[in-house]
Parts: sequence; structure tokens; C-alpha cells
Amino acid sequence: MAISSSSRFGTVIAYVRTMAVFIAVWWAVSVWTSNLVLLPTPFAVIEAIVDLARDLELFVQAGISLGRMMISLALASLLAIPLGLLMGLRRTLDDIVDPVIELLRPISGIAWIPLALFIFGIGNALPIFIMTYAAFFPILLGTVAGVRGVDRGLIDAARTMGVPRRTIVTRVVVPAALPSLLVAVRLGVASSWTAVVAAELIGAPSGLGYAVEWYRELLMTPQVMAFIAMIGVLGYLTDTSLRALAQRFTPWAADARRM
Amino acid sequence: MLPLALVFVWQTWGVITGNPRTPVPTRVVAAALQLIESGELPLAIVQSLGRVFAGFAIAALLAIPLGLAMGSFRRVERNVDPLVESFRPIAAIAILPLAILWLGTGTPAAVLIVAYAAFFPIVVNTVAGAKRISPTLLRAAATMGLNRFKVIRTVVVPGALPSIGVGLRIAMGVAWTAIVAAELAVGAKAGGGGSGGIGQMMFVFYAYSIELNRIVVCMIAVGLVALALDRLLRGGLRFFMPWMAR
Repeated sequence: MAISSSSRFGTVIAYVRTMAVFIAVWWAVSVWTSNLVLLPTPFAVIEAIVDLARDLELFVQAGISLGRMMISLALASLLAIPLGLLMGLRRTLDDIVDPVIELLRPISGIAWIPLALFIFGIGNALPIFIMTYAAFFPILLGTVAGVRGVDRGLIDAARTMGVPRRTIVTRVVVPAALPSLLVAVRLGVASSWTAVVAAELIGAPSGLGYAVEWYRELLMTPQVMAFIAMIGVLGYLTDTSLRALAQRFTPWAADARRM
Repeated sequence: MLPLALVFVWQTWGVITGNPRTPVPTRVVAAALQLIESGELPLAIVQSLGRVFAGFAIAALLAIPLGLAMGSFRRVERNVDPLVESFRPIAAIAILPLAILWLGTGTPAAVLIVAYAAFFPIVVNTVAGAKRISPTLLRAAATMGLNRFKVIRTVVVPGALPSIGVGLRIAMGVAWTAIVAAELAVGAKAGGGGSGGIGQMMFVFYAYSIELNRIVVCMIAVGLVALALDRLLRGGLRFFMPWMAR
């Protein structure tokens, strides 16, 4: 569906209007409860955001969490994409490895937190491990599905023309699997971003999840809400930018825009 | 084959390194039997499941009607969608500190987290399902003189059911993950309070009585319950909507 500029303008208006109503209701409720710890006014939260931004604390913690996410995403991709390619290409390897994957997959990354806390202690390693684990499965399964989905005819055609196996993989299989691979990476990022908050909340001395919990203990609710908002904003921004990337690299894929 | 081999390697490696606390399969099985016999593990799972079902039911009751309204009425969607899209990126676990602040460290906070987590997949899929209904069907129903609400009941709801089912399945998975996270975090932050549940039990085994074998038992239990819930939902959906593909 093509979005005309007037309807996009309308969407912006609708957005502003809805959020204005939401903030008005929030303000009314917070005035009515008149308990700044339980429900601060929207203005107190905005003030907290400005203060935290001026201190740079908001950005420092966000940077730490984002940095951890980048590292884990890189690790998960390095492990999952080659494995997924191999599993998609070789049935026998898939038969061997898949049972292990299916055994581990239902155990959510978050359920690993206590054991990982014991192994890694509190620090950087724990959130990175949890996030890598959380991102690994969506990326792996997406890669395998993508490779399986490659048109057999294309591979056969390349083979008929005498293209060596390695070149078939790099020039035929990978480009054809790219759209679903990028979707897989996006799903991986989403699930690791959820996991990082949990991991930082429990077992890291820094990061957004830690900051949320720290300010809750100090009963500084405006700051808690400011960091929660930051988590949402970053989650949204990473997803949108990955979507944009997918559309840029694989403009032919309808998948890149939906879901 | 490979899983068996890995279990074997894990067992021999654990025995050779020789720390009596290292979790190895035989000790994990022994710990599992103990925990089941003493009733601790079943109780914890039942507690967690109760919270999941409560939160899931709340989410479904709110999200399905809202999603249908958003999917059928353009104006509702325009005005509500900004709110949904603004809160959707905020991970449920990030809300947990607020939930603890508002509702304490007991069951209500955990249920709130589950409901929040389950809400969004159901809304999004219900809206998508309601919008995917062929306009021809809608027009045919309208031509035959049905009013908007009858059209929704007789055309939109049945047509959107498969998509709603997908939403429910995703939501159930998310809800189970969220409950484990919520209970873990509550355990970590409330000093092992008595609210129970499998997540809390794991945290107690980590923080108070360092029993790695029991932690592994809990992890396996978390995985098994996740599988069982998914099977249950899938079976239920197939039973109620046999026409649904897959």
C-alpha cells in the first residue's frame, strides 16, 4: 500500500493527538494519587530525562547496553550463520545437530541467568553470554530456513554451468537466503534486547537494566521511567534501522517490510 | 545420537575434573528425583503456571477485542495504534521495577508482567488477521444487510481466528519467558521473598544454597514446560480450528 504524503501527515497528527491524551490522563491520575514515588507527573519524568541527558548518564548507560548488544550480536552471528548455512546445505549435519538445538532452544536465555551468574559472576560476561544465547537460535533457525528456501532450480542451473560448489554457496545460496537471514537477525536482536534488560537487572554493575533497578531502590521513580523510556526508544530504533538496512540490501523482499 | 554423546562427554568430563559439586547428568537426575519427591518442583511449576495463565487470560481478554476493533475500524486503529507502537518496544522485564513499586513483590506484579508481555503479540496478530480478510467478503456481508457488528461477529472473527491463534501461541511463549524473568528478578531484588515459582526457586538455589545440580534441574523444567505449553496451545488451536493450515 502506497502511503501518500497527506495520509502520513494525518498519521503524525493522530500520533500527537493520542499521546497528548495519554499524557493528559497520566497527569490527571498522578495529580489525583498525588504520590510522587508511585506515579510522578509526566513533567517530572521529562525533567528527569533532561537531567539524566545533561549528566550524560542516560547515554553512558545506553551506550554500555548497546555495546553489549553489538558484541553479542556479532558473536551470535559468527556462530549461527555459518552453522546455519552448513546445516541448510548438508542434510546429514542437520540430522546430527538439530536434536541438540531443539533440546536447548526451549530453555530461554533468561533461565540461564542463575547458572551463568555462578560461572561468570557479576560483570560484562554475564549479559553478553545471555544475549548471545538469546540471539543465537532465531538467527540459526532463520538461516537454515533461508537456505532451505533457495530455489533448487537456481542451484541446479549454476551446477550445470560448471560453477564450483564454493562459488555456488557465495554467489547463489547466500544472496538468495539473504532476506530471511536479515529477518532472522532482526528477530535475534529483538530477543537479545529483551534478555539484556533481565540480565542487567540481575547481574551487571552497569547498563540500562541496572540503572532502572538502581533508581527503583532509591525510590526515584521519574528516573526509573526515564530509563524505561530509553529502553523502548533504543529497542524501536534498532528495529527500525535493521528494517531500513534490510530494505536497502534486499529491496526485492516483501519480507523485509512486513512482520 | 549427538545429544547422547554430549551427555556422555559431560558426565565423564564432570567426573574427571572431580569437583563433587559440578553438575553432571547423574547428579542432576538424582537432584530432579529429590525435588519432585519433596514436591518442591511441582509446586513451583504450578505456581508459575498459575501466574502465566492469569496474565495470559487478562492479556487475551483485553487484546483480542481491541485488536478486532483496531482491525475493523480505521479510526480506532489510527487513534490507538500510536499507543500500542510506543509501548511495544519496551521489554516487559523493564517494567518490572515499576510493577514491584506498585504491586509489591508478590503474585500481582508477576501477573502484570506476564499480561504486559503477552498483550502485544496478541494485539498485533489480531489486527493483522482482521485486516487480511478479503474486502469482497466484507462487502458481500454488508450488501446482504448485516450491520457492522454482525459483520465483525460472522465474518471478521472467524476469518481472523488463525492469525489470532498464531498471536496466542507467540504470546504464550513470551509469557512463560517473562514469568521466569520476573520471578528471578523478584528473587534477586526482594531477598528471596516467599512469592515462590520456578524462577524464584532457581534464584534461591543460586544465592542461598549453592546447588548447581538443582539449578540445572530447574532449567530443564523451564524448557520442558515451554515445550508442553506450545504443544498444548498448538493442539488446542488445531482442535478448535481444524481448517487452519499447519
